[in-house]
Order: sequence, then structure tokens, then C-alpha cells
Amino acid sequence: MSEAVIQIRNLSKIYRDFWGRKKVQALNSLSLDVNKGEIFGLLGPNGSGKTTTMKLLLGLLFPTDGEISILGKSASDVSKNEQIGYLPEESYLYRFLNAEETLDFYGRLFDISPAERRERTNALIERVGLQHARRRQLKEYSKGMTRRIGLAQALINNPDLVLLDEPTSGLDPLGTRDMKDMILKLRDEGKTVVMCSHLLADVQDVCDRIAILFNGELKELGTVDELLTEQDETQLLTSKLDAETIDELKAVLAKHNADVRSVTHPRNSLEDLFLKTVRTSQERPGQRYVPSAGDGDSAGGSPEPPAADAESN
Amino acid sequence: MTVQPVSFDLLDGLIQWLVVFAGFVATFTVVALATSIPLYGVSGPKRVISGAMRGLTDFVSISPRRVYAIAMLAFKESIRRKALLVFVVFAGLFMFAGWFMEGDAARPELHLTNLVAFVFLAMTWIVLPVVVLLSCWGLPEDIRLRSLHTVVTKPVRRNEIVLGRMLGFSAVGTLIIVLMAAVGYGWILRHVPKDVAMFCRVPVYGSISFLDRNGNPQEQGINVGDIVMTRSFIEGGSKATAIWHFPISHEVDELKIESRFEAFRTWKGNMDRSLRVRFTLVNDEKDLRVPLPAYEVNEFRYNEVLISRHQEITDEQTLKKSEVDLFKDLLVPFDPQNEVHRKLQGDASAGVLTVHAQCLDRGQYIGLSPGDCFLRLTDRSFAVGYIKATVGLWLECLLLVVIAVTASCFVKFPVAFILTSSIGVVGSFAYGFLLEIVSGKQKGGGAAESVYRLITHMNETTPLPENLFTKSIVAFDKPLVEGLGIVRYVIPDLSHYGTSEWLAKGFDVPWNGVLLPAMAVTFAYFLPCLLLGYFSLRLRELEAK
Repeated sequence: MSEAVIQIRNLSKIYRDFWGRKKVQALNSLSLDVNKGEIFGLLGPNGSGKTTTMKLLLGLLFPTDGEISILGKSASDVSKNEQIGYLPEESYLYRFLNAEETLDFYGRLFDISPAERRERTNALIERVGLQHARRRQLKEYSKGMTRRIGLAQALINNPDLVLLDEPTSGLDPLGTRDMKDMILKLRDEGKTVVMCSHLLADVQDVCDRIAILFNGELKELGTVDELLTEQDETQLLTSKLDAETIDELKAVLAKHNADVRSVTHPRNSLEDLFLKTVRTSQERPGQRYVPSAGDGDSAGGSPEPPAADAESN
Repeated sequence: MTVQPVSFDLLDGLIQWLVVFAGFVATFTVVALATSIPLYGVSGPKRVISGAMRGLTDFVSISPRRVYAIAMLAFKESIRRKALLVFVVFAGLFMFAGWFMEGDAARPELHLTNLVAFVFLAMTWIVLPVVVLLSCWGLPEDIRLRSLHTVVTKPVRRNEIVLGRMLGFSAVGTLIIVLMAAVGYGWILRHVPKDVAMFCRVPVYGSISFLDRNGNPQEQGINVGDIVMTRSFIEGGSKATAIWHFPISHEVDELKIESRFEAFRTWKGNMDRSLRVRFTLVNDEKDLRVPLPAYEVNEFRYNEVLISRHQEITDEQTLKKSEVDLFKDLLVPFDPQNEVHRKLQGDASAGVLTVHAQCLDRGQYIGLSPGDCFLRLTDRSFAVGYIKATVGLWLECLLLVVIAVTASCFVKFPVAFILTSSIGVVGSFAYGFLLEIVSGKQKGGGAAESVYRLITHMNETTPLPENLFTKSIVAFDKPLVEGLGIVRYVIPDLSHYGTSEWLAKGFDVPWNGVLLPAMAVTFAYFLPCLLLGYFSLRLRELEAK
């Protein structure tokens, strides 16, 4: 059995007003474990208690009831933060610092030597793809760039446990893909990642296990495969078949009392198409889409070669 | 200076600080234990104790590296948010102020006084509000924008955040003060008339006592009708005498007595000359009196009297002349049993000199206060005095930063700013008034009684009518006044920080009487404020909705 990095037992959180009256119960008796080396997703609609759970883990909020053990320590123990990296929902960083200064500042908060701090700063800036903007103040950054530097600051201490609150929020598909790749790479490096998100596709792509919260209560908990696999159905993927072969297959399946519900061509996801288009454009700059004569905007067309190529031809 | 600085007893101050500090800690502990039981039941006191132990651990584990990082962050934040733009205001003031500060040709030394007063006034009113604004604004803004979340989720203790902020904003204040002081010094040198000598007097003050017109000892002289009696008067042409005892640290060839007395004429007299005063050096043990030449009191200016070591005296009966040595014949050894000697401040290794001052004009009076007459030692350079005065302003800046950062740990920016400003204003301008209210010296009662007297147009010295209403007013005021008794320990006495006044009036800023208490007050507030800020930040949910 895997070692539990986070143990939550009967965790409840009630927000109260100034007079101590109950405003809202954000969490109700939540119990779950997060194991070492896995990517754990906290899912739920807005107000379900994902971020509250995250903030309780970090000690930003105090639990009304229940217990939290994180890396074997209490949530209120500051020393636990030595091995934790946290990316908040919005990248709440100091906007008057540039990328280098930001990472240097957060690095100084850990017991890291100056030489190592410089080395990590350079490596992380490169890793999140901000070499071109390392000296620009964060107030000039786009949202995607801010998320990237936010992730870099979360990793400055080479943490064992990374908590990511809505890591892909505000990122374009390319940025989302990069973020997801980085999350997977973190797992490959042996780190434990806890992320909360309401972007289901992102969670599905990267998480090993997920918990679904609703109104502060745990509704589902398990591996992604367990929870998403339809045990009562079978999917068969083959190379392209003609109509006659399909009919033959249907007849065979009917003989075994199988109900064929649909026969279609598999489709790429929009994300895949988008990424393919962007990467092609990066490889062949200048090429653009030109509609065929008589076609409307929605009709097919052919890519026009780059102007220089056309001229030389 | 009319007011003689009171020597500061560091040990006594430390003991008083420990008592007040222990009192506050004990009060907070009792309140915390009492409130923990209804909140957490029987485990409440245990939580309070473990919380206090954790606090102790946090203070022991403070990391200078993290404190430095947070201090630098606060410094960069202030500079990049253009805090140094205050120099534009400062520069504007200095570009044009010279036009409006033409000196009096008859008294050029007053021009230097005005220039110094202006520079320090400008620095005080530019630096302090800016630094208080920055200090009050930093942490609440960090909490509002949640930038603090990425800091507290690192292994940073809350006391490191508070301490780092205090140091960072203090560094900003220091930078601004140093730059402004340098510019101000250059500006003074440029504008001061060439014939004005720039120096700082180093006075040695003595203790004062009086003899009345019949030669009987008195604690004070005569009040000539002043409501606030800063000087008491002695009658001319009588036995009325002001007696000073000065501590003398070492032997010199010449002593200089400097004095500034006020003249009060009960009749016109000879208007062509001022009133005359004579100093007499006295050794009662040897029954030796050395009268010095009389001089005319030059009001509003310092009168210098030089006393050479060897004085010639004439025996009144035999008319025989002889010479006395100031240090061998006139000084008496310091006697710790002597009540007058015990009051003396300063080094009396060489002995104690007694000086009698008498007014020679019959029916006229001269007014004196303890600080009106002093021995003047070798002067210090103006630059040294200027630096010391700047240090006083710097200490005041540090104190306000400490209070402002602490306030910003538990209230939002506007409230923190109002709170700090109020403490600053009361501490600077109304601390004496506060003490008078608390001690009962202030007539007119408390807040409710004052309102009652205002509405009924009743003089503050008139006794209140005896009825149930007035009794209830007095009863209402009593806890408020007693509450002020506690408040006076919270509000600092900022009068210690008025160092520039000494410089402006041509005096060296006294170390023991002014700078040391200013330092002591600043450091006395530092630890309690750090503790308060730490617990305020630790016990609050940064993300509370």
C-alpha cells in the first residue's frame, strides 16, 4: 500500500460572520488520503469546497473540526512548507518584481544557497518558457505568463508535494497543454501533485485519482479509470472498414446478443486539432487558410502556401 | 533653552518597562485563558498554553535570511511605488523657501534658528506621513491582493513577516531622511549669513534654589502674575537670591557661565540701561564669597560671564587683597549625603560650584528658570549637532513605523492609518495634557463633565452642583479617566524626539536627557509591538470570508 502524504479525517469548515453566526458550511466531514507519487484531482462545481480544502491544507484557514496530517505534520506547522509548493488560483505574486526577482525572493524564504538559488531560478525560468521576459515586471505579464511564473515559484524549493489550485485557469490551449505536460513530468520526478479544477478534461488527462465534492461533501473517490470506465459496454477500434464488413460484424455481434449502439469514425479532440494547427503554423509561417471558390466560411478550403514559395514557383 | 533636560535613568526606565510589559502580558494571558473555555471547553487553556509555546518557538527560530528577504521586498515595493517622489515636494519647498526667510539684520543668529527649524519641520512633515502611509498600507494590501498567501505558504513565520516589514519600511524612512538631511544641510550652509557662527553649545546644568527678600530659603521665587510660571522672580536690591549648584568634572583655566534672564520692571527706573545682575561664587564651608563684576541683563540673548581660575578678592574689613583658586578654594567635594548634591546631573568629580545671582536694581525683578543659567563647556560643531538632531527624527520615524506595521496586522489600511496618526498626534502634542487628565491636575473633569460644563456655561473651577445627574456624570467619567491611565502606557511620549529644537536654539542635543530616552522609547515599543503583530497575524485567518 502506498504511503499517504496527506491524511484528512472528518474535516469540516464553517464560515462565520463577525458575530460568530454561521454563514456557510464549506466542508462537511471530509475524509480522504492522498498517496505519495500520484496526481490527485479535487473536482467539483463552484462553491463545492475544493479551494477551501486546499487552503485548510496550507493553514490559510483553520478547520472548524477534524484533523489534517500533511507530510506527517499538522497543517498549522510552518516547517511542513519546506517540502510543499503551492500555486494559488490566481497568481498572487508581487507585480513590481520581475521574474528573476520573484524567484530569488521566494527562494530566499527557503534554506537554499545563493548559488543554488541562481541555478534553480535560471532552470525554472527556462522550464516555464519565460526566458524572453525574465527582466520584465510581472505587471506587464499576460495571464498565461503569470501562471507560468506562479508555477515556477511553487517549484523553487524542489518540493515533494505540489498543490495546484486551478492550474490551467486562464491559459490558452497551448499553455494548458504545457501545464499538463509539466504536471505529468512532476509525477515522473516522484512528486505528489494535488490539483483542484472544474475543467474536467484537464483533470481527466493528468490525474491518477480524483475526488468529487459537492456542497462540501465527498461524493466520489477513486482512480480515473475506475470511475470513467463503463463496465457494461465494449468499444472496438479498427482500421477503416467498408459497409459490407460492418454489416458482417453486426451480424456476428447479433448472434452473440450484443446490442450495437453506434458505428462511427473516431474524432480528434478540438484541443488536438488546435495544437496541430498552431504547431504547423509555427513550422511553416506565412501559410494560411484560403476558402475554395464558391465556398462559404464554413466550407472546406485549401491552405495557401507561403507568399515567398508561391512567387518562386 | 528655558527647559533643562531631565537626566534619563536607564535602569529605572528598564524596570518600569518590565513592569508595564509584564502587566500587559499577564492581562492578555488571563483574557485568553478566560475566553478559551467558552470557545473550546476544557481543552481551551491547553490550546492557549500550546499556542504560547509555539510563539516562543517561533521567536527562537527567527531566520535572519527570511527577515532580510521580506525587508528587501518592502523596500523595493516602496521604492518602485515611487515613494521617493516626496523629494519633488521637498525640492519645491527648498527652491522657494529662501525667498520668504530673510533674516533680521540686527539679530542674524535668528536666521540660522529659522533655517534649522524650517529644514526639520519640512523633513518631519514630509517623511513621517509618507512612511506611516507606506507602513499602514503594505500588509493590508498584501492580504487584500493575497500576495501574502504565497509567502505564508512558504516556511515563513508570522513574526518574520512583521519584523521584515518593520525593517523594510524603516530602511525606506532611513534612506529618505539621510537624503533629505544632506540636502537640508547644504541648503542651510548656502543661506546662512556669513557673519553667523555655527556651533552647538554644550551646557552643564545645575540645580536651583532660592532665598527670599529676607534671606530665607524658598523652593521658588515670586510669581509676577503669569498663569503658566516658567520662570520665578527675585526682587532686586534685597537679599532675594537664586542659587545654582553646578557639578564640575575637571579643572580648566577658565569657566564660562551663560545666562538668559527675563527682566520685570515694577517702575520705569533708568530706561537707558538694562537691569543689573551680579554673580557671586560662594564656598559656605570656608565662608568664602567672590563677587564677580555686575553686568546688564541683555534680554532675549545669552549673556556670557567668564570666570578665570584665579580670582582676586578684597577683605571687606581689612581691605587686604588676596587671590583664590577657583578649583582649590571655591569648589566643595561632591557629598552623596547632601540633598542638593544628589539632585545634580552630570559628573562632579572635581567638586560642586555654588553661584549666587542677585538683581541689583531696587524694586525691579529678574525671572529665572533652572535652565536659564549654565556652565558652557567647549562647543561642538554644528555638523555634529545636525547629525544628532537628524538621529532624533530618525528614531521617531522608526517608532511610527513599528506602530504602523503593528496596527496593519490587525486592522485594514484606513483604520491603521487613523490609529497610528492619532497615536502620533497625541504623543507629540497632547501627552502632557493626557497626563494632567489622568493625574487629576486638569480641572473640569472628564469628557461627560466637560460637555456638561460647556452646555451650562460653567467655569471649569466652579464646583458641580450636588444632584443625581451630576453624580452620574462623574461616575460615568471615572472609568473613562481610569482607562486613560492605561492608554498613557500605550501612547508614547514623543516630546523626547524634539531634537531639532535644541539645534535651532544653538545647543548640542543632550545625549542623556534627549537622545537616550528617545532611543529607549523606540526600543521599548519594538518588542511589545512585534509580539502584538505576530499574534494578530497568526491568530487571524488570512483567507476568512
